[in-house]
Amino acid sequence: MEIFANLAHGFAVAFSPINLLMCLIGALVGTLVGVLPGIGTIATVAMLLPITFGLPPVGALIMLAGIYYGAQYGGSTTSILVNIPGEATSVVTALDGHQMAKQGRAGPALAIAAIGSFFAGCVATVLIAVLGAPLTKLALAFGPAEYFSLMVLGLIFAVVLAKGSVLKAIAMIVFGLLLSMVGSDIETGASRMAFNIPELADGLGFATVAMGVFGFAEIIRNLDHGAELNRDLVQQKITGLMPTRKDLVDSTPAILRGTVLGSILGILPGGGAVIASFAAYTLEKKIAKNPSRFGRGAIEGVAAPESANNAAAQTSFIPLLTLGIPPNAVMALMVGAMTIHGIVPGPQVMQKQPDLVWGMIASMWIGNLMLIIINLPLVGIWVRLLRVPYRLMFPSIVIFCAIGIYSVNNAPVDVVLAGVFGLVGYWLIKHDFEPAPLLLGMVLGPLMEENLRRALLISRGDWSVFVSRPLSAVLLAIAAGLLVLAVLPALRAKRDEVFTESEN
Amino acid sequence: MTSIRSLAGACLAALASLCAVAAPASAQNYPTRNITMIVPFAAGGPTDVISRIVTAHMAQTLGQSIIIENVVGAGGTTGSTRAARAANDGYTLITGHMGTHAASVPLYPKLAYHPEKDFEPVALLAGTPILILARKDFPPKDLKEFIAYVKANAEKVNAAHAGIGSVSHASCELLNAILQVKPVGVPFNGTGPAMNALVAGQVDYMCDQIVNAVPQINAGTIKAYAIATPERNPSLPDVPTTTEAGLPAFQAQAWNAIFAPKGTSPAIIATLNAAAVKALDDPNVRKRLLELGSVIPAAADRTPEALATLVKNEIAKWTPVLKPAT
Amino acid sequence: MSDTPSEAPVRSILPKWIRGPQDFIGGLAMMAVALFALWASSDLQGMHGFSFGAGTAPRMFAVLLLLLGAGVALVGVLQDGPHLSHYSWRGPLFVSASIVFFALAIRPLGLVVSAFASFLIAAMGSNETKWLEAVVVGACLTAGCAILFPYILGLPMPMFPRFLIQ
Repeated sequence: MEIFANLAHGFAVAFSPINLLMCLIGALVGTLVGVLPGIGTIATVAMLLPITFGLPPVGALIMLAGIYYGAQYGGSTTSILVNIPGEATSVVTALDGHQMAKQGRAGPALAIAAIGSFFAGCVATVLIAVLGAPLTKLALAFGPAEYFSLMVLGLIFAVVLAKGSVLKAIAMIVFGLLLSMVGSDIETGASRMAFNIPELADGLGFATVAMGVFGFAEIIRNLDHGAELNRDLVQQKITGLMPTRKDLVDSTPAILRGTVLGSILGILPGGGAVIASFAAYTLEKKIAKNPSRFGRGAIEGVAAPESANNAAAQTSFIPLLTLGIPPNAVMALMVGAMTIHGIVPGPQVMQKQPDLVWGMIASMWIGNLMLIIINLPLVGIWVRLLRVPYRLMFPSIVIFCAIGIYSVNNAPVDVVLAGVFGLVGYWLIKHDFEPAPLLLGMVLGPLMEENLRRALLISRGDWSVFVSRPLSAVLLAIAAGLLVLAVLPALRAKRDEVFTESEN
Repeated sequence: MTSIRSLAGACLAALASLCAVAAPASAQNYPTRNITMIVPFAAGGPTDVISRIVTAHMAQTLGQSIIIENVVGAGGTTGSTRAARAANDGYTLITGHMGTHAASVPLYPKLAYHPEKDFEPVALLAGTPILILARKDFPPKDLKEFIAYVKANAEKVNAAHAGIGSVSHASCELLNAILQVKPVGVPFNGTGPAMNALVAGQVDYMCDQIVNAVPQINAGTIKAYAIATPERNPSLPDVPTTTEAGLPAFQAQAWNAIFAPKGTSPAIIATLNAAAVKALDDPNVRKRLLELGSVIPAAADRTPEALATLVKNEIAKWTPVLKPAT
Repeated sequence: MSDTPSEAPVRSILPKWIRGPQDFIGGLAMMAVALFALWASSDLQGMHGFSFGAGTAPRMFAVLLLLLGAGVALVGVLQDGPHLSHYSWRGPLFVSASIVFFALAIRPLGLVVSAFASFLIAAMGSNETKWLEAVVVGACLTAGCAILFPYILGLPMPMFPRFLIQ
């Protein structure tokens, strides 16, 4: 079995002291970056790239990879504790994770996120090693038409995960799509709705809007009169730190399903990981016996998307390791790190650089082990942070968010924009519009528009490509089915809706 | 309260050291502090890598660190705008390239700077040759057949590019202008996705820089018709030049060069140019640049005057090609 | 919603036939956003031949949002729904002020001054703030950030006021 020889070789590389150290540093920095709101992996990897100049290439890449998947572990922490998703992939985690924290169950939520991530990471690592090369075909089978259909499906997920009015959820998605249109047009380069503000030329940043509508808006809302009671409750009734046996039983199938979805969707370059987390959440909500639990602290709502996003973070290395093509911005930076060392990755990277490829795959497993060892004891510390009085907590969050947003582009305008979105988010909360669909619309909007236009350019304006290509047709059929499922009960049960609002 | 005291102590100590460093800048003892080099593209891209390799050596010559700051956005014009507005004291420089300091003029009518009027040329660093690439099962076998095929099937072929203002977009427009064809241009967000589409066979051809294409060509996942430089490249010895293959008019290179804000003193420019030239003569720097498939300029092309001429010629070359595109 | 129940005076502004003021106003606001987007994208090119222009997608989404906004407003007319909730001014004002101050100050004054000052401005947003405590925590936090961001994460940002350096 060649695979075992390869893996053994990989572990031999990864277990060298310097590479173990690099892996640990990557995992630690990744956790830190994930926990700090606003600071994204792209900015951090870009900043740390010059440091890797002086390191051996294998160690450098092990470290950068560690930052990338480590951030997936850390990203759930702020989502759960303070309802601020640091990355697009942890938006859904905030929905039930923060509700769990409000019920005094922050500990189990954080722990299950770490456990789910660990399991998913282990499975996905094996998947890369065993099936990396054949799975590459999936990445290549996805053309513009398939991507467009996948994005449509992703937007339907956003409707399903809404807990209130479906109409309002759709309005929020479209609002998000509209916001994503700001910036330069991909085909003509024309500036769209940017009002000649240079900082808007490349569009609104995800971090800017997410920090605004989740972070700042949540803070402003918590400062309202009457909100004190609600907050103090959170601080008093913290129960156990670790999940109970029932939690584990409830989460196990969710983790398994999340891992499968994440592993598959992660291979697709561009947006795969985001859709994976939303898809996993939607699946859990749809097959649950009592879907109304979702959005009110269902542990499956944390376990599934966290497993999915970590599995996706691992399998997204497949196009890089088998084709030499970076599927996202962080991977493009890793290609840069290789290029600086004179290694230009290509389809033969597995044969030409076995140390690098197998060492990295083995290090991912080691990194995941390190991350769970780091993260489980941290749960206690994070939960203790919740006991910090809110009067000290909220200015600290404001400062962390402000610095984080500034650091993304070194642009003060971004910080002001996040503040504006904070006020917008406050208004949205007051009118019972949910911010999660808005963010999903914003992330998927450009991908949807660009792929739609590419597909139509290639087909010379023939819309039938979306149904004549089998993969695309299947995705659209699933989307249509889900939409019907989502809209029908909403039309039938108006009473439930009123019930939802009065309870929350 | 200890933390406040220690913070105050740290502040004072840091201030003292900063004040000591910040002696008034003058051309005689330039440089006396760290130099910021703006790279208007993401870390790890061709311009960034070339810039890092050369400036690492220049820093040794100058005796001061050169800190690379990647200011990304709007096809490199965001970073270039910032550099154009920076103080002209020689402590803020920029590594511009074919796009930011030539093709941007016709592409962005509202450009906030002009490559000739707002910058002092310092030194040409290295260029990355451009290749004509196609999906592996694209019918034409060589460049002659390619030209005939594209002309005959102009309605059917799709040309990918990495987004408006990118090197691959500009060079593809140049190729199309020379061949007098107007294929459908399919825009992608960066070189990676465009290459993915080419490997997957979703688009027919594209023009791109050599760096990322070499491994794909060697593995046979895509094919290369020609390289748009006067000489063949050592990393792709089998790929003919456009001159050999019968299209001598198509000459394009993604050149990278250092610029300083307008009004930087000639003495500082001369110091920087000397350091850059020295770096380009260093065997280790040359080796690393050649590994990337880059072309290192000859001695006569390395002066600030030569760079000024290059910028002028390049603007003249790209303006008619890219003007109708927008 | 955990917000305070409806305020009688707010309600009286709106005519009686609006049964769900929260939805009605929310829908109207979405329509306003959509109209603004339509205006802002009106200068962009539309469809040309079979390919989309720069303005096609923005206008499409704006029209869609206009319709959805109208739908939400209609729900507010036809169905009994929650009333407008109470807005407080103190939180939004000081948190926004803190953010804007940070944005204006980070370049000229550096991380240390702007983070500390922004912390204190934000702290004014709550009536529970105890000043001595806030100053101490703010200073510790600033010191922590000053080590964390530039050194551990290597993010380049100015630390101290510009006039002190040059």
